[in-house]
Amino acid sequence: MRSARGKAWVLWSMVILVLVTLALPTLVIIGASFTSGDIIRFPPEGLSLRWYRALWDLGGFRAALGRTAYVSALCTLIAIPVGTLAALALARRRMRFARTIQVYLLLPFTIPLVVSGISMMMLFGEARVLGQLWPVGVALCLINLPFMIWAVSSAVNALDPELENAAMNCGAPPVTVFLTVTLPAVMPGVITGALLMFILAFNEFLVSLFLTDSRTVTLPVQIYNSIRNVITPDLAAVSVVYIVVALAAIWVLDRLVGLEIFLKSK
Amino acid sequence: MTADAPRPPAPAHRLPLRWRVMDRIEAVAAALWPAAFRRATPWAFLAPALLLVGILLIGLGYVISDSLHELNPATYRLREEYSLGNYAAFLDRPVYLLVLWRSLLAAVLVTAITLVFAFPYAYVMVRTRSGALRKLLLVSLFLPFFIGQVVRAYGWLIILGKQGLINQALEGLGLPAATLIYTYPAVIFGLVQYMLPFAVLMLAPALTAIHEEVELASESLGADWLRTFRHIVIPMAKPGLVGASVVVFTLTLTDFAMPEILGGGTNDFIASTIYDMFFQLSNPGLASALAAVLVAVGSLIVALVFRVAGTGTLGLRSGS
Repeated sequence: MRSARGKAWVLWSMVILVLVTLALPTLVIIGASFTSGDIIRFPPEGLSLRWYRALWDLGGFRAALGRTAYVSALCTLIAIPVGTLAALALARRRMRFARTIQVYLLLPFTIPLVVSGISMMMLFGEARVLGQLWPVGVALCLINLPFMIWAVSSAVNALDPELENAAMNCGAPPVTVFLTVTLPAVMPGVITGALLMFILAFNEFLVSLFLTDSRTVTLPVQIYNSIRNVITPDLAAVSVVYIVVALAAIWVLDRLVGLEIFLKSK
Repeated sequence: MTADAPRPPAPAHRLPLRWRVMDRIEAVAAALWPAAFRRATPWAFLAPALLLVGILLIGLGYVISDSLHELNPATYRLREEYSLGNYAAFLDRPVYLLVLWRSLLAAVLVTAITLVFAFPYAYVMVRTRSGALRKLLLVSLFLPFFIGQVVRAYGWLIILGKQGLINQALEGLGLPAATLIYTYPAVIFGLVQYMLPFAVLMLAPALTAIHEEVELASESLGADWLRTFRHIVIPMAKPGLVGASVVVFTLTLTDFAMPEILGGGTNDFIASTIYDMFFQLSNPGLASALAAVLVAVGSLIVALVFRVAGTGTLGLRSGS
């Protein structure tokens, strides 16, 4: 137990337990989606793609998927300039009230999502935009904005300010410095942040539950509303959409910036 | 600098297009935002983010304002006059205190269990020499993180449900079916699984910051790995542990989907109660008051942790 072998044994058994716990729902959903029976059994009654076909015929899910993609894209498009500029200002310039501003910008994390959901439902209702789709995109951008700022900030902190000074010394005017030195240097952070924003908006549930109705329902809310006591494989087929999108996001993230970026100490 | 110096007549037709475009952009930028404004540039950069978060604050203002008006049961509208009646209602009704207690207990349990399991995972992920293993551990972490709570809860329903895979297996063995779903332990389990990626991702940078030589030094001085962990690694990882606990605690305390889906309405947390007050009791005043209490309780606990244990990796630091 106290030997090096004991250490490996203890650590590894815990890691394997966590790995199994993390992977199990995903694996089960994938398996269930290919069943040919009407209910989910193990071993499956047979393999088929009938639930994917049924899904495609269900207009409701397709429309919800489209709305989710729209909302996530809108959220990402707002977050990229807003978060990048804020992170640049926060990390590079010595500002007055810097601490206060940081606490303020972390409010989306410190205010519970259920409260954010109610708050924005009330505000959007008052502003008569509740029931439209674009405010959902704005709301999802707002609640996850600290992720974007965090991702860009860590890239800004890794950039040597002397590079910008050197560019200016060589006569580059401000916009040129920004576009040719600053922006390329923080690009890995922008990409990481944008991917996080998209994927988190894509599976955001609670705030969307407050802000959508039957005409603007997004996919996570639709799945939640469809969960019944009897578990049918059609929801498993929808869920596979999420698994595929998540895998794609991980692949892109790994290719462009490397997942190891999340292990770096500040 | 040299912008005002007379230039030789530039043969514009020979300059590359890119240069001409950039010159034009610089001229426009200089006209719109002259150098005299330079000091305000950070504020201009920050303005969109400040405005965006402002939306949340205005909405919060509505919540607090609604919490100060009681519902008029005759008209189902909030009364005009201000009162603290909604807050007083919580103290009269033990059921709300029970929900609050249930959520707080879950938050403590989930935080403790999650940290115990996240720590070895993060440790192995950071320390392993095998790049492939590190990648596998990272991908296994990000996949559930990116799939979302509802889908993961649905996966657990397939496994733990009344006609779920486990009960089918028990039936196959001729054993009686077990009630695994719609119980408090099911909610705790689902939440732990949900929080593991958050906790590991908060712990990993703190562990990366600990040099392996420190552990080797401890071991060469005769400490076994348990003592090294207890006296070296865990104390040095404290910033990460504090950060991870605060994140897991607050996310659990305010969670909605897991208690709803895996608790099936029998184990509601505060968020579910707020939701029900709003949409089933149609009492926005009461719902808003509970929302305000939730914000207050959450902030109070986090402030307390920061006071006792420091801000950890959530600490604010400006610059590099």
